[in-house]
Amino acid sequence: MPLVSALAASHAPNILLEPGAEWDEFMALHYRMAPHAAASKPSLEAQQKLRRDAEKAYRALRADLEAARPDALIVVANDQFVNFFFNNIPTFFVTLADEVKGQFTRHKFHYRNDKELGRAILRAGLEAGIDFSYGEYIELQHTQVVPLYFLLPQPKIPILPIYVNTWVDPIPTPRRCYQVGELIRKVANGWKERVAILATGGLSHFPGSPRIGEIDTQFDHKLLEIMREGRGRSLADYSLEQLLQAGDSEFLNWMVVLGTVGDAKAASTFYMPDHVATGWGFVSWKISS
Amino acid sequence: MSSYHLNRLLFDLKMSDQIFQQALANLDGVMNRYDLTPEEKEALKAGDPRRLRQLGAHGMLALYVMRLNPDFRANVYWTQK
Repeated sequence: MPLVSALAASHAPNILLEPGAEWDEFMALHYRMAPHAAASKPSLEAQQKLRRDAEKAYRALRADLEAARPDALIVVANDQFVNFFFNNIPTFFVTLADEVKGQFTRHKFHYRNDKELGRAILRAGLEAGIDFSYGEYIELQHTQVVPLYFLLPQPKIPILPIYVNTWVDPIPTPRRCYQVGELIRKVANGWKERVAILATGGLSHFPGSPRIGEIDTQFDHKLLEIMREGRGRSLADYSLEQLLQAGDSEFLNWMVVLGTVGDAKAASTFYMPDHVATGWGFVSWKISS
Repeated sequence: MSSYHLNRLLFDLKMSDQIFQQALANLDGVMNRYDLTPEEKEALKAGDPRRLRQLGAHGMLALYVMRLNPDFRANVYWTQK
């Protein structure tokens, strides 16, 4: 069976928070780290519009995902010190758990994990010179559950969390992430079931940095244009510094998905800067075998 | 100098409810279990995430000192690990 669907979507926590009190709490934390960012604090009306726009984007992606009738969804995301700490930071990690759980606000998540597909990716990686780390337990956090809330609210199919180190220096290059995606595509094309893949994160933001609040919308629009033109392969030539300077470290998760879609053009793209911290981006590719 | 121990304390505050409760009751006692500099201890007691980051704490972990601040104790962000 081929890869049948590829998606990428932001996982900013405030996408899933209720406009008003919950956004205010979230923003108050940000502004303790970067007080200057409070100057662009969005109004309640702006928060509500952002939520509506994000829901519209997610509806489009979910329609594409469901139309592809996948049997499993690979979720490529980064950790943020939930499963990994400085005693052991994997560059790429495949989850071999039976099931995975997580919680964010009032929402609880519980999915079966497709460890058989995970093992196939691990073995293919070892043969191809990409040595993933792996483990039998992880906890989901906002980096996975924010998009899953909108895209797979009922756990009808198993997921397979794969982690990319985007948050602790040194991090992998865009080219290496693209190669990981090419490997996943190869495994998916030979797999017995229909596989979809979702990258989460980004776009431009500076989590935990004094630059919180800066959003490089120009760079983000350029990335989206390149994806619409089917030139994602060219982004493997970008230096890590280019991505980091624009606050697009989590775009490395997207680079994995770009490696799976090759020269396919993005069918739908959506973009909205949240005026808090993050350029929210959403992309869907229609995959032909 | 490595900030491993400072980051470790912040990570434990995030992940361990037991350590968090102990820190609320006696931050000095918890800090004394970690290999911290006087400056790091001062920044932790001040609850200042920006200062902690300057001292080498990862920004995503420095934030978790805010859990000790009564104004932020019930923040919605802490509903995840």
